[in-house]
Amino acid sequence: MTSSDTVHGAAGTPMLDVAGLRKVYQGEGRAVEAVRDLTFALADGELACLVGPSGCGKTTLLKCIAGLLRPTSGTVRLAGRGVTSPPPDMAVVFQEYGRSLFPWLTVHANVELPLKEKGLPKERRAELVTGALEAVGLADFAGSHPWQLSGGMQQRVAIARAIAYEPRVLLMDEPFAAVDAQTRADLEDLIRSLWKRFGMTVLFVTHDIDEAVYLGQRVLVLSSSPTVVQDDITVDLPDERDQLTTRSLPRFAELRTRVYAEIQSAKRGPAVAGTAGE
Amino acid sequence: MSAPEVTSARRAPALRLLTAAALRLWYLLALPAALILLWWWAGAVSGMYYLSSPDVIAATFAEVWFGERFLVDALPSVARLLGGFALAAVLGVALGVGLGLSPRLRALTEPVLEFLRAIPPPVLVPLLMLLAGVSTGMKLLVIVSGCIWPILLNTIEGVRAVDPVLADTCRCYGIGRRRRLTTLILRSASPQIMAGLRQALSIAIILMVISEMFASSSGLGFTIVQFQRSFAIPEMWTGIVLLGLIGFLLSVLFQLVEKRVLAWYNGVRAATRGE
Repeated sequence: MTSSDTVHGAAGTPMLDVAGLRKVYQGEGRAVEAVRDLTFALADGELACLVGPSGCGKTTLLKCIAGLLRPTSGTVRLAGRGVTSPPPDMAVVFQEYGRSLFPWLTVHANVELPLKEKGLPKERRAELVTGALEAVGLADFAGSHPWQLSGGMQQRVAIARAIAYEPRVLLMDEPFAAVDAQTRADLEDLIRSLWKRFGMTVLFVTHDIDEAVYLGQRVLVLSSSPTVVQDDITVDLPDERDQLTTRSLPRFAELRTRVYAEIQSAKRGPAVAGTAGE
Repeated sequence: MSAPEVTSARRAPALRLLTAAALRLWYLLALPAALILLWWWAGAVSGMYYLSSPDVIAATFAEVWFGERFLVDALPSVARLLGGFALAAVLGVALGVGLGLSPRLRALTEPVLEFLRAIPPPVLVPLLMLLAGVSTGMKLLVIVSGCIWPILLNTIEGVRAVDPVLADTCRCYGIGRRRRLTTLILRSASPQIMAGLRQALSIAIILMVISEMFASSSGLGFTIVQFQRSFAIPEMWTGIVLLGLIGFLLSVLFQLVEKRVLAWYNGVRAATRGE
């Protein structure tokens, strides 16, 4: 029932390699095992979605991958190199757009800040910022402050900042959970088009099954906590996706049913499918 | 459409502006004028010697302060006040950032800080006189010892309240220590820092006067006490009025600075209220 043969082991080292990841939080007198044993790999340029029941440790996992949290055991490798602190080739878009942008900086300055830290010359910075803002359709708002924009626009600023950083891997932690449905559809298409244009590897964490199937080339289904990869589904939908036609394909319905069933079984029996992924 | 609306729309724009300006002036001056009149009346009715009437104070004010005394007594006082305030601001923010970032340092220093904070700064004056002599240094120390606390404590709170998502964002994008301090921590804590500075400013004025009342041969506090001891009552009143004016002016200046520094904060607040 797995599609793990699509984990492009043959095409050289994977871009993102998560092996045996485990995270235990040491509480007072008792330990909470948030993530039990996660193993998966993303090939260069792949767009994969992670879905799982709520409270399954998605954020913990993402923080471990981003180098923000030290795993109890297991490794994360980015292009072959071990991740112990936030690597320079990785950008993260957080769910809380309102709290991840600097309210005292303009949109332009927000996007530019990481590039300044990289030590890029002024002209190159201007080029990257303008390009990224144009790519997300916010070229006219460079001088605004984040709080003058709507939620969807703020999240697009955060996406522009990630793109301008020129990462090889882009992590997104439920980035559209807090925007309205219409904005969400636009942002999904934006992610697809940016991914095609810039060719980076994208790991997209979401709790929305439809979103996962619509966006990804692959959907990784997580079990409930303590978390393991329960299933790895290849999304064999046409590459050109469209909110109307793609979502009404019979195959789309099949895939979403399958993911849904997996998540339901994940909710019922925690970690019984611990070996199902491989 | 109601009748008053029509007339106000038809009125000449210049006239309307004039009316608005007059209304503003009325709001600004009505209460001060009423209070001065009340004072006048109270002075006249009671015939109290110590309650000089406003016109006498106004006339004496020009006599006392428009001249050498302004340079010898008022300006140095204000300079000490600003110097002490600036010193306390730099020290308070620097220590506050250090303590705010380190829970261990905070745990270590908290009892001591609470104790030191509880000492009323004026009682330090006799001690500081012994240590630093009757000097500018002593006066600065008195001001700093009193007005550092609101700055320090507010800075600590502000630094501790830095949003964890924003801090994670900085880490992800490899923002280094210096930029982290200037772009994230100080800016993020600036609303609390400004609140601390505002409190500190009024404390600084009080302590400036007190430090000069004890042992001094010049300054505003000294001059007021001097006038009081020589029964120069209207002169004494002018000193009090001048102190009030200085405090008022400094607070207006502070508000201007604050408005600029916290423009983003007010914007965020307005945006969240509007939703």
